[in-house]
Amino acid sequence: MSSDLTIVLLSLRVAVAAMLMALPIAFGLAWILVRKQLRGRFLIEAIVSLPLALPPVVIGYGLLILLGNRGPFDGLAFTAFAASLASAIVALPLIVRTFVVALEAVDPRFELAARSLGANPWRVLVTVTIPLAYRGLLAGTLIGFVRALSEFGATIVVAGNIPGRTQTLPLGIFTRIQAGDDAAAYRLVAVSIALAIATLIVHDLLLRRGGLSGRRHRAGFGA
Amino acid sequence: MNPDNPTPDSTGVLRFSFARRQGDFTLDVAGDFGSGITALFGPSGSGKTTLLNCLAGLFRPDDGEIVLNGTDLYRSASKTFVPPEKRRIGLVFQGGALFPHMNVSDNVMYGWRRTPENERRVDVDHVVDLLGLRSLMERSPGSLSGGESKRVAIARALAMSPGLLLLDEPMASLDARLRGLVLSYLRRVHKDLGIPMVYVSHSISEVLALADDALVLSGGAVVSSGRPSRVLLDPAVGGLLRDEPVENLLDGTVLEPGGGGASGRVRVGNADIVTPPSDRAPDAPVIMALGAEEIILSTGEPSGLSARNAIAGLITELEPVGGLVYASVDIGVPVLVALTPGGVDALSLERGQHAYLVFKTSSIKLLDAAPVG
Repeated sequence: MSSDLTIVLLSLRVAVAAMLMALPIAFGLAWILVRKQLRGRFLIEAIVSLPLALPPVVIGYGLLILLGNRGPFDGLAFTAFAASLASAIVALPLIVRTFVVALEAVDPRFELAARSLGANPWRVLVTVTIPLAYRGLLAGTLIGFVRALSEFGATIVVAGNIPGRTQTLPLGIFTRIQAGDDAAAYRLVAVSIALAIATLIVHDLLLRRGGLSGRRHRAGFGA
Repeated sequence: MNPDNPTPDSTGVLRFSFARRQGDFTLDVAGDFGSGITALFGPSGSGKTTLLNCLAGLFRPDDGEIVLNGTDLYRSASKTFVPPEKRRIGLVFQGGALFPHMNVSDNVMYGWRRTPENERRVDVDHVVDLLGLRSLMERSPGSLSGGESKRVAIARALAMSPGLLLLDEPMASLDARLRGLVLSYLRRVHKDLGIPMVYVSHSISEVLALADDALVLSGGAVVSSGRPSRVLLDPAVGGLLRDEPVENLLDGTVLEPGGGGASGRVRVGNADIVTPPSDRAPDAPVIMALGAEEIILSTGEPSGLSARNAIAGLITELEPVGGLVYASVDIGVPVLVALTPGGVDALSLERGQHAYLVFKTSSIKLLDAAPVG
């Protein structure tokens, strides 16, 4: 059994890595869904939402086939990377859905105005779209992060439950319950709760710093 | 661009000829804009905003060409499409579209910061003073009044030193007082910076007051273009005029403010006009609003009238529009007069004839013009 600290640090590392994978993809998908009038919008939405509707174990099994010793990415299963990838895929639909709502609240006229003022599309994204969607993007990121932290089903299938390598908080709690070590399980449960509260506090602090940029905005006059 | 060296040619700043289909609406237009102020006039849904968006590069036409100062911005034949950020065409959106997460100063500087140094020809400080924004720079857009927002939006577009400034209904949703103010700011900006302007308007009064040229759109096509007083009296345009009463918005200078029971006097064109008293200082710029239907036309010098104003002028246009006949009378500036066809016949009015404009002091409204800054 690895130490509590090892488990917590590994969990955070896996969740952060999952976010690094999921966020750019989620933003790109949300942007396409909101700003491009695609004929296949429904199809993209369905595919993106699929991990939400499937049992995580199924996702884990699918990943195991891809990353396992008969798959095209042989050697990647049962690693921290596999745990991160599983968390990222499970969290993606939640992030995309929140990002879609956030981007829909940004009036495209602000983006067009920025273009006409000499900003290229990347500049527009950085100086207008992201600041205006800040609140929603932050909420989506934290929902995704929390989901990644609590990921269990897909992770145990594709990454196993290897102490110090892939044993994250939920897996650690599971192991301790299985072993009948209630005291150890309680400690990790307490850590889980503390982590959840800390995430909420960080969310709140970041929102406050967002200040003005967080409100919903429409192009126009007055309020 | 440079106030010391205004563009000498009066036409051909922007030339366009293109088509764009969207749904069952087709915009199919050709025309050119000169270095002056051009009004884009037409009923709702005639394609005015779509035209501006195509010129600014926010919409892509299906085929045709758009040429600014000899440079292709769009040409379907050579698959040329200059993206909006490289066109240097300022666009003032109808609602202003000020960035809500930035204060006024950052809004104004947004385009300036993205303008290459060797293309910065407009002095931002000058623009800020010109539009009277100095005291607003730290405010957030949400706290601005309608008129203030419009001025900030105009300053933001000007700060990027555009080769052409497009304005989508700059006076819409403002009350009469603020309309006059924004109008005189636009006039001043054009006079000072020499940037060609194109603005969309629903209002005949505005077109007459501000524009050197007018382009009239209807159903996605250009139906008339040329001098505003001529274009708006074009029979092809007549049917488009709404029942909106036509108001003359004339630039004037206060001679005597009046007050204490005495009338004021304002210089408009070549005429001294008796107006209601106001609290404006002598020499202050002012806009005189006078409804076209408030004016009586007299062929001889009138006498024994209670109306205080009888101004001599020359009839330059006479066109039936709707159920009325509109006369454009030159008193140093053109003034539009609405007449009934019967009245025109009874006086046997003709173009080139001298006539007197008769109107009551109480028909005049004085509006604030941009303060001299």
